[in-house]
Amino acid sequence: MSIMRVRWGPQHPVSGQWAFWLDVDGDIVVNMEPDIGYTHRGIEKVAENRTYIQNVPVIERTSVFDAGNIVFGYVQAVEELMGIEIPERAKYIRTIVGEMSRIVSHLYGLGLLAIAVGFETMLMWFINDRELFLDLFEMLTGARITYSFFIPGGVLHDLPQGFYDEAMRRLDYFERRLKDYWKMFFLNRTFVTRTRGVGVLKREDAIRLGVVGPNLRASGVEADVRKDEPYAAYDQIDFIVPTEKEGDAYARGGVRFHELEQSVSIIRQALQKIPDGRVRVKVPITPTPPKGEAYSRVETARGEIGYYIISDGSDRPYRVKISAPSFRNLLAMPFLSRNVPMADIPTIYLSLDLIPLDVDR
Amino acid sequence: MLKVEEEVVKTLKQTFPEYVVEAKVQREKRVTVVVKREGLVEIARFLRDSLQFDHVASVSGVDYPEKNELMVVYHIWSIPKKVLIALKTSVPRDNPHLSSLISVWEGVNYFERETWEMFGIVFDGHPNLSRFLLPEDWNKGFPFRKDFKLRTKPE
Repeated sequence: MSIMRVRWGPQHPVSGQWAFWLDVDGDIVVNMEPDIGYTHRGIEKVAENRTYIQNVPVIERTSVFDAGNIVFGYVQAVEELMGIEIPERAKYIRTIVGEMSRIVSHLYGLGLLAIAVGFETMLMWFINDRELFLDLFEMLTGARITYSFFIPGGVLHDLPQGFYDEAMRRLDYFERRLKDYWKMFFLNRTFVTRTRGVGVLKREDAIRLGVVGPNLRASGVEADVRKDEPYAAYDQIDFIVPTEKEGDAYARGGVRFHELEQSVSIIRQALQKIPDGRVRVKVPITPTPPKGEAYSRVETARGEIGYYIISDGSDRPYRVKISAPSFRNLLAMPFLSRNVPMADIPTIYLSLDLIPLDVDR
Repeated sequence: MLKVEEEVVKTLKQTFPEYVVEAKVQREKRVTVVVKREGLVEIARFLRDSLQFDHVASVSGVDYPEKNELMVVYHIWSIPKKVLIALKTSVPRDNPHLSSLISVWEGVNYFERETWEMFGIVFDGHPNLSRFLLPEDWNKGFPFRKDFKLRTKPE
């Protein structure tokens, strides 16, 4: 049979703002080539032309689904360049916001995975429960999605009155809901048959291709920046890194689900242990870090993000390199899409939790 | 405390005295090595096979117009050792050719393609240096070089 070239996206309902070239032989995909760049904004170049503080909201736009953790890495790199240590209380607040951001992002990602297997009800559930945490963000920062809450030197403001009770109440409810998710979604026969054994990424392939985050952990590698190189308050909090051995789409979904459970536990512990004190140290409004460079790593919902910042001593960075998690996971997509039925492409794509915004920057 | 990091620096200096320009421990879990571009592939292979640097973290280009050179920085993480190495090398701005490291670490594939597109550094041996993030008909030069100025006013 002859091989036909099909373009999948960017108008396809599942594809997002990018496209894939699929070479298909009948129903079987023999080769695929991603065509990205539809949302390329050149954030790295824009960042060279703005001051360190002005960059915070810009960098956040790299991936607004996970706004908390994305800025986290940038802010830490600037702090390392300037050589400042932030107060203990700020570290705990950052941990809380980072974990809430992870929950919000995972709920969105799992919802899309549910759509890929034709299970729209689940998306409604996930999006509905996402509101629990969006409301908490609003209470804490004043904004729901893009809050620019982390700044070099600490966080913008302290926890508001009544935040502890409200957060605990919502976490209790959310924990009950997690049990429902497991029964409704992860034990659902349709979901299991559509994802078990689909897109199997072996341990050595995952390391070779440089895959990060839940996708790497679903292949049996226990690599998590929160454990390997603890930042913020993660070294004072007790949690485990969930891993799976299978490396298929179901395992990647499962790792995300178990991370939700861990995030709930981390937020609880952080809220109970949080010390009193200030939430930021004084930093000039246009900081001028000394000459040097810093590479900071943070575990976002989609995996490790790296910020490589070079300072030339002026008030603007000389170079900002964003090594985004989805860009690194993208290499697994053509690898996994060889010799699979076309109907499995959405499952593979959304189980890797790739988002075009993050890939393009 | 910095035992693993110092071990890496020492081994590299001893094994490749002709290629390593500078090697130092930047801080905990961070090692920086500046190498000559002729020895890049050899050192990369040694890092992978003997020192367990197996996980590609990032590849960045940096433009230094006043020195007339482009720097390429490979950040490689070691999962067993839990150390990040920054492998730096420079190429002249008017002849930006460098051997691709795709034969050593497959994970550098898209990073090198992006660096080629944004800085114009040609990675010899890379299988597919074609337009990636920019439009197919782009002809305005290399956007991340310092002489490419951002538009400040609407045209």
